[in-house]
Amino acid sequence: MQATGIVKRYGQRTVLDRVSLTVHPGITGLVGPNGAGKSTLVKAILGLVRLAEGGVRVFGLDPRREPHAVRRFVGVVPEDECSVPGLSGVEMVRYAAQLSGIPGIESLRRAHEVLDWCDAGQERYRAVETLSVGMKQKISFAAAIVHDPRMVILDEPTNGLDPIERRAMLGRLTTLARDHGKTILVSTHVLPDVQSICERVIVLAGGRVRLTGSIRELTQPAIPEERLEVTGPVDELVGRLIARGIPARRARPLDLFPSAAGAAGRFSATVETVMPGDEAHEGVILLQLSTPEALAGMWAEVHRLGVRVSSLKASCRPFEEVFLEALQAAQASPTESLHAAP
Amino acid sequence: MPLHDVGYRPWQGKRSGSLAAILVIAATGIKLAWTSRWLRRAVFFAWSPALVFAGSFFVFEQAIDEGRLGSIQDRARVGSNVDGVGILGRAIADALGQTDAPPADRHETRDEEANRTRRAVWSRLMLAFMRSPQAILLAIVVGLVAPALVSRDLRAKAWLIYFTRPVGKFEYVTGKLLILGLLVASITMLPALALWVAGVAVSPSIWVAVTTWDLPVRIIVASLALAIPTVFMALAYSSLTAESRIASFAWFATWAACWIAHASLTTADIMQRAQAENLAGEKAQSTDPSNAFDGGFSVEDAPRRSRRSNVHPRGPGGEIGETLADLIEGRGPPRGRPLAVRQFGWLSKATGLDDTIDRWAWISPYHSLGVIQAWVFGIERRSQAIFPPLISLGLVSIVSALVLWWRVDAPARA
Repeated sequence: MQATGIVKRYGQRTVLDRVSLTVHPGITGLVGPNGAGKSTLVKAILGLVRLAEGGVRVFGLDPRREPHAVRRFVGVVPEDECSVPGLSGVEMVRYAAQLSGIPGIESLRRAHEVLDWCDAGQERYRAVETLSVGMKQKISFAAAIVHDPRMVILDEPTNGLDPIERRAMLGRLTTLARDHGKTILVSTHVLPDVQSICERVIVLAGGRVRLTGSIRELTQPAIPEERLEVTGPVDELVGRLIARGIPARRARPLDLFPSAAGAAGRFSATVETVMPGDEAHEGVILLQLSTPEALAGMWAEVHRLGVRVSSLKASCRPFEEVFLEALQAAQASPTESLHAAP
Repeated sequence: MPLHDVGYRPWQGKRSGSLAAILVIAATGIKLAWTSRWLRRAVFFAWSPALVFAGSFFVFEQAIDEGRLGSIQDRARVGSNVDGVGILGRAIADALGQTDAPPADRHETRDEEANRTRRAVWSRLMLAFMRSPQAILLAIVVGLVAPALVSRDLRAKAWLIYFTRPVGKFEYVTGKLLILGLLVASITMLPALALWVAGVAVSPSIWVAVTTWDLPVRIIVASLALAIPTVFMALAYSSLTAESRIASFAWFATWAACWIAHASLTTADIMQRAQAENLAGEKAQSTDPSNAFDGGFSVEDAPRRSRRSNVHPRGPGGEIGETLADLIEGRGPPRGRPLAVRQFGWLSKATGLDDTIDRWAWISPYHSLGVIQAWVFGIERRSQAIFPPLISLGLVSIVSALVLWWRVDAPARA
């Protein structure tokens, strides 16, 4: 999907201001504050709104000229709860399949198949309006993918889901992108979800693209660091690494969760997975292993002290921090794009 | 956990087009509407008047079969009921009195006469059937179904389901129109066609189907004339609000208010005319005391009361000085207001026997539809009677269609 210089106005208000972006196969996160223009961008992709300038191409098709063809390739999970009152879950998914061109009995078979994959259980036979929010979300997701679209657009897909269901949903999205080559655009406010599943991200604010690029590049710290999770004498290990000339420091909670130090003081979902443990025995060390010698030295000290290593990986900034920086810069300079990584 | 979870699989079958989407929307809409107990009752009830009318068809055809056409025409001439089939028998009698006569120089055979009278009677019975019970039931059935069709989608945000799929406004609106169109057809077109089939079945010969071939076509056209403005108007109301109760109220209020307006204006006209007649009577009385007007109905003043010059004077019992021989020999059909006009005004209007021009018909959808249907059945031919309702209904249909077209995807554009 490619958008080139699109401008959308509602009266005097410009909702999308010369937005240009490309969405590749894989999972792309679309994030931005409320009123940033995300929903309007989705409508533009579907050909639902008339653009003042610019154009959108979805799989080479113009959604304004060939909306039916485009929508045949696209599945949408809207943020709002939507249903046809009176239909059960399976009837709803079947209806969506039939509207998308899957004929007769095949639509029913396909609806059950997709609902099975979404783990919908027997709840599928209840009227949609009586289902829980999480179940409605599953039905909505099943309805969006039942016709095997090449692109899936999801608006807050994890809304109303419990942690287990949320993880399952993110797993399904990853499966669709990785195993079935789908192009997935996830519009969400849950930034840890973006960081955990998205390959690329687009930050919209004030109708403009403020930041775009791969998650890996955007969350890379200014100075590359490695993150070593260990159990044992952490402080002693840090001292020995420094003595070897390896820049190292024990990570404090604020190093790991900078957003927690901010005015909002928000904790993200990653807290539960990397919270440092006991002061004496468990900890995280941030170090710079710029040469093979430094790496070998680190392993030597680990071996000498008998420290157990849980993980060693490249350190990255939380995406939330990157996002907030982008918004602050957008407020400071409303017309400039902060960063446009390839 | 499902027993046969095959995971997510691609689907590469042949996809159906827009027509299938329209049919799916219509089929699902009918299925959902049919869950209403009141709708099922209304549709069932809508077929019951057909049984009464079928009885009239039987009686009429039986009279022809037994060679009693002349006899019932004679009875019609004197304003009697026909073979005890109630008020419909009187409608038949009056219809017989107003059949178009052949040219004076042409002598009709008995079969030709039977065909001519059959066409007249069947047309008027069909018109009465479609206008009196069916048009009212149509308002009720459409009022039960239509208000929820679009407003419910707006409230439940179902438009997100439609317009994010290969469904455009055209498919959506056509699907919704089809839901109502099929329901309207099930209470107007289908019973009327069944009535025609019943008429053919009880007639002396199957060839009656050939001689009355145009009636099924007229029934279909009359049903369409009934359906198009009503369906568009009902859906337009539904599209203007997310509360179906409001749309429902607007629908019934429109019919009631327009009916009341029509009745008020018509009554005012009648009172004005009566006043003028009284004034004229008083004037005549003052100029010619010998020709006193007593306010009653006398043989002498009948021609003056009639709107046509060739009307035969008639008394309370029927036409005076007219026989069946007059009709057969082509001396012209009686043109006066038949007895039923005065005794069963609504029936006479329904069957097109009351040939006064309803100049306020265009105000009321019910009365406008009646005029248009009478035109379709070949009973009303006067342009001054047809055009105002035709323009009125045409405007209502166009404006409703535009509103509907503009409103259905308004939330998607917002």
